[in-house]
Amino acid sequence: MHFLGSVELLSLSATSFPLLLSRLNFLLFSLSIQEQVLARMRSPFSLKQEFLKKWILGLQRCRSSKKNMSIFKRKKVIKLSADVAMASARKGTTCWSRALIADAVKEGNADKHLAEKILGPASERQPTEKVPVGAMAYNKRIRSKKILKRSSVIRRTIKCAPQAARPSSIVKTLVGKRRQILRSLIPGGEFMNGVSLIEETLDYIISLRAQVDVMRSLASASKLVNLN
Amino acid sequence: MDIGEKDKYELGKRDEHNNINYQAPVLSSDWQFGGANLTSAGMSLVPTTNPLAIGSSCASASLVDSFGSSLWEHPSNSQNMGFCDFSVQNGANSSNAMEVGKGLPNSLRSSIDRPFDMGWNAASAMLKGGIFLPNTTGILAQSLSQLPADSAFIERAARFSSFNGGNFSDMVNPFGVPEPMGLYARGVGLMQGPDDIFAVNGMKSVSVMESQKSKLDATEATRDAGLRVENRAKASPLENERKSESLMQPNEEAKQGTGGSGNESDEAEISSRDGGQDEPSALDGTGGEPSAKGLSSKKRKKSIQDAEIDRAKGGQTSTKTAKDSPENQQKQSMMINKTTGKQGSPASHPPKEEYIHVRARRGQATNSHSLAERVRREKISERMKFLQDLVPGCSKVTGKAVMLDEIINYVQSLQRQVEFLSMKLATVNPRLDFSIEALLAKDIIQSRAGPSSTLGFSPDLSMGYPPLHPSQPGLVQAPLPVIGNSSDVIHKALSSQLTSMTGGLKEPNQHSNAWEDELHNVVQMN
Repeated sequence: MHFLGSVELLSLSATSFPLLLSRLNFLLFSLSIQEQVLARMRSPFSLKQEFLKKWILGLQRCRSSKKNMSIFKRKKVIKLSADVAMASARKGTTCWSRALIADAVKEGNADKHLAEKILGPASERQPTEKVPVGAMAYNKRIRSKKILKRSSVIRRTIKCAPQAARPSSIVKTLVGKRRQILRSLIPGGEFMNGVSLIEETLDYIISLRAQVDVMRSLASASKLVNLN
Repeated sequence: MDIGEKDKYELGKRDEHNNINYQAPVLSSDWQFGGANLTSAGMSLVPTTNPLAIGSSCASASLVDSFGSSLWEHPSNSQNMGFCDFSVQNGANSSNAMEVGKGLPNSLRSSIDRPFDMGWNAASAMLKGGIFLPNTTGILAQSLSQLPADSAFIERAARFSSFNGGNFSDMVNPFGVPEPMGLYARGVGLMQGPDDIFAVNGMKSVSVMESQKSKLDATEATRDAGLRVENRAKASPLENERKSESLMQPNEEAKQGTGGSGNESDEAEISSRDGGQDEPSALDGTGGEPSAKGLSSKKRKKSIQDAEIDRAKGGQTSTKTAKDSPENQQKQSMMINKTTGKQGSPASHPPKEEYIHVRARRGQATNSHSLAERVRREKISERMKFLQDLVPGCSKVTGKAVMLDEIINYVQSLQRQVEFLSMKLATVNPRLDFSIEALLAKDIIQSRAGPSSTLGFSPDLSMGYPPLHPSQPGLVQAPLPVIGNSSDVIHKALSSQLTSMTGGLKEPNQHSNAWEDELHNVVQMN
């Protein structure tokens, strides 16, 4: 039905032919993105299986010789391995997965060794290693963007102080604040701009849902096993 | 007390004049697509007296009601907030008006207040169109003979001609121009210029006649205003989209304004942006307003020719920074298409070229709302629709802010669930040994995904899982049906089930061995 909306727009606009072409191009491009996301949504089962496999592998790697791991440590291990497994299931295609893994193996992180253990030997970390170079440049760009944004926001607030009550500016701040919150929620969200933020959110939600489903089924299965 | 009443009554007169002013656009827009006779209507409104004003206000109230949702909801939605702010900031003026309202009989007050509200919204909507008009008429000096076809402007001009020049200030003041309406004040001030010219031309009949002629001859602003009105009038399903777009546009504008870093925009881009403006004017109509409002102040400060140059420059600087390459390429290809299209058919659309030219000059808004910006907005709206399907309970919600709220809540709840489940798993399993459970879970996932399953008891288990599917209410509830189910199965103790159960329980051990073998293989490989 969204496609119909675009067609309606096309008919309304009464544009010249090249413009129509451009519109069609845009539609095709958008459709490809749609298909991508749809494909990811259609095969949650494979995603879940992959996630489970990776998770169990990571847990096995983490199994220490010490018999008494505290519950909190265990929980941390479980969660970390789950997150890393989820992120690696994406194989570096999405920004949030890369950011998650990068955060896990960051220098200042307390559980860095754990994360590295989970990730396994360096040979396995190929997809994440490739990215950092591009990511650094991207981060720089984003940081400069942010600085510019901040400065222009200051300029704009000075200019627009008397007009702050306009409804458009109210809407701007409403949406902008929420975007900030969303950015803080999603790993690596600070580096995403408008469109990619929503795409990443989509993917992140799908992955989180799969993760929750798998964990829940695992919990119920283990309960069953414990009962019997 | 007499004097006070007189004052109140005079204020009330002015109020009604205001109402007329505000309602004239309402009525005029009605006539525009009603195709009614403009002359008579235009003439009749000018010599208004109090009873007629009241009558017209009541009539317009009914008209406005008849328009109802299609026409006024969305503009009023976006402008009600503005109206509330105006009322807050108007302070004395609005309170005076309200007191005036109280002074008048109650019936009149109720009838006037509502159209006043609607009229205010209408006025702010129409005045945006009106603000643009004087600029364009100032620009196109030669086309002053062809007066704008916007009947709202006609009404206003008619009123101006009927009043004396001195009364114009009286007209301005009772509008109660607060600071947020500073734009409007400036716009009204600008209207004084063409007002003189119009008075000279004796524009009433001329303007009306011109309006009856082809609208293509009119300036683009009027066409825009007319289209805007038409678009609002059509109760189209596109409205939600447009509204969401108009909501998104301010946000995108903010990003536009703040993006700022140098994009390598060619002259082609500028000209193509100019060229590309006359296509979906529908979108631009609704979109042009909020941005044009913010930028029209910039316009008026400079001269007209400088404004064009500045706008072109501003368009350059305010374009979105370079994003991913496919998008850029796509943008550029689109720009190139537009330029070629423009060059390819110059002869066939000379009036359109003029039109494009004027439109580009009209405001920086059109530059920042170039095709690329629109494409980006559409992309975002598309993705938001996806998110709507994904996030439960988001189907009824429209508008970016609320949807983002829902999304944030959903993501937070999912993250919390992950935490909770990991803690639960930590309690359940003291040794981080998940092999058997993993196998079970795998089969459970399999059984959920597909009907076939290797283990005997998994169909029974899968019966417990549909309650798990639809929602994530409480995790404590989730395992209970499963456990209950399995216990039922055990208690029912059908021989086949028992054997399948025991068989199933035995099988995991075998399977777990296979699984662990697999794992070992994988680990060895690594």
